[in-house]
Amino acid sequence: MEKLKNKEEVVEEVKDTEVPLDKNVRLMSPTRMVVRRFFRSKLSILGLIMCISLFVFSFLGPVFYTEWGEIELDESGKTEYSISETTYEVNGVEYTLRQTTEKSLKDNFLAPPSSEHILGTDNEGYDIFVRLMYGGRISLIVSFIAVFLITILGVLMGGIAGFFGGVIDNVIMRLCDILICLPGIPILLIISTILDASNIDAKYRIYLLMIYLTFISWPGTARLVRGQILSLREQEYMVAAEAMGYSTPRKIFKHLVPNVMPQLIVSMSLSLGSMILYEATLSYLNLGVKAPYAAWGTMINIISTNQDILQNHLNVWVPAGVCIVIAVLGFNFVGDGLRDALDPKARR
Amino acid sequence: MSLFILLGVSMIIYFLIRLMPVDFIQDKINAINQGGATVSEETVNAMYAMYGLGDNSFLGILEGYVSWLSALVRFDLGTSFVYGIPVADVIFEHMGVSFAVALIATIFEFMIAIPLGITAATHQYSFRDYIVTILVMIGISLPSFFFGQMLKDLLALKLGWFPASGLVNATASYTGVELLLDYVRHMFIPILTIVILSIGARMRMTRTNMLEVMNSDYIRTARAKGLSENVVINKHAFRNTLIPLVTSLAGLLPSLFSGAIITEQVFDLPGIGNIALDAMNRGDIPFIMGYNMFLALLSVIGVLLADLMYGLVDPRVKLE
Repeated sequence: MEKLKNKEEVVEEVKDTEVPLDKNVRLMSPTRMVVRRFFRSKLSILGLIMCISLFVFSFLGPVFYTEWGEIELDESGKTEYSISETTYEVNGVEYTLRQTTEKSLKDNFLAPPSSEHILGTDNEGYDIFVRLMYGGRISLIVSFIAVFLITILGVLMGGIAGFFGGVIDNVIMRLCDILICLPGIPILLIISTILDASNIDAKYRIYLLMIYLTFISWPGTARLVRGQILSLREQEYMVAAEAMGYSTPRKIFKHLVPNVMPQLIVSMSLSLGSMILYEATLSYLNLGVKAPYAAWGTMINIISTNQDILQNHLNVWVPAGVCIVIAVLGFNFVGDGLRDALDPKARR
Repeated sequence: MSLFILLGVSMIIYFLIRLMPVDFIQDKINAINQGGATVSEETVNAMYAMYGLGDNSFLGILEGYVSWLSALVRFDLGTSFVYGIPVADVIFEHMGVSFAVALIATIFEFMIAIPLGITAATHQYSFRDYIVTILVMIGISLPSFFFGQMLKDLLALKLGWFPASGLVNATASYTGVELLLDYVRHMFIPILTIVILSIGARMRMTRTNMLEVMNSDYIRTARAKGLSENVVINKHAFRNTLIPLVTSLAGLLPSLFSGAIITEQVFDLPGIGNIALDAMNRGDIPFIMGYNMFLALLSVIGVLLADLMYGLVDPRVKLE
């Protein structure tokens, strides 16, 4: 308390005597300094805006824009009439046969963008704009869950390996080696088959696949945490913690792990981007979110079989791709900005 | 050590196939049979024997694993359902295309990414640095299927400069140089896609390393000696940036054979990745298992090569 008061006094003094502003900087807490440096970079602000706007778009969008639902078909299609003429020649006399065929198109599919459908409808008759929002929800939720799990598992395993060393370290690190050598997408192909075989609900498939992804992705985080802890545990404050008689979990998770936090946050935001890409790829390969539910990848999937849509109906697949790019780019920019802001060597 | 990793990987992959219900496998085989191709009874029985399927007790699983592993050691990956020939043969047959595409793409990637990384690092925080960084970041963020389809739509279908898919022009029969040119024409967009997508990571790696080197003492010494900036950057700084680059190249080499599943699927190249995806959709289980082991083997070799290379280029590192 006493200290705080002093600080306030210093600030007051500075104000009174009108010393150049840069003397105030010294009073900033490290967190505030990081925030300041983060916001100094235009790219990280851009990234943050991109991420936030996507969040608002996908989570609040469907709340306010309720014209269409995720799996609500537009059944306002019209009936089409077509007339075909055939000419016969019998014994030198020409006969013309007119045939009228009535084709009832119940679903208003592949509609161009209009006031009714902001981005038009896809080949099934779903509203693309609304499906973009729901697709964003899935992508963002799934990636956040995956990154969260990866971090927790990675910190736990890396922390234990780094702190105890010896046999435990060896076992965990060899496990990491094995998992890193597992091929990513090909094994997901197998798992997807297994899920097919056991009749998992289409809605939950993607979550199970992402859990597998977590299972093979934690070694990266674990290695990062372990490396940091190996160097940190030799420092004086750890000796002090030892002398205070703290318990081992407390030493690891209260004293060592917080010091790894900067690197962790950076790797988390960067891996968010790659998880979104993974999810999109899975959905594109028709392994993840399956029809009728929407995901950005699923919305692009249609062009791999339908040349007409690829060439002539850009409004069906380009918006989803743009959303993926915005999301990944946003997280990458934020991650980069954080890395620069948290790096104590790069003080500018 | 590497053998140990391979053993672990093989265990996980074997465990995965045991998770598949046997009647499901039977269903898949029936589907293939209906689709025209015939899976002979012998092939199926051989596969069942090889994986030791059907015996679900703990000992049975163990026995199945051992028999599968011993076949694996003899490079016997079983017989593909769809192609009716040994899996290893299918892999080797289609490896060439994937390798050619990946090799050319990697060469271009390094040729473009390294100079970009160096300029970005030597002009840090300049306009040029920002432009290069933003462009390569967009490259990293593009999903390969989306970007590939976009290029295909634009360059192949709208402008008609390049063929959209496949590896050879089916209607014409070329020979010699013409055939080679036809290959190049077909591979151009896939390679372009891969290069643009992968340049980013390499460029940023170069930039980070270059920045680190530029801040070191011997660079200051070199400048203090009065060496020209050109010599400082190209002779002193760049050579030390090469260490991680060469190491990563060595680690990359085996993965060139593994095939790019998505890109090959988009452009319908008969590479190994596309074949694997197709095999998966058709339920060709022996092929998928073999392909996964093949990939694991490649990445283990990659790790090994990178370690060896690291010792070679950096004399400070001693291999135990």
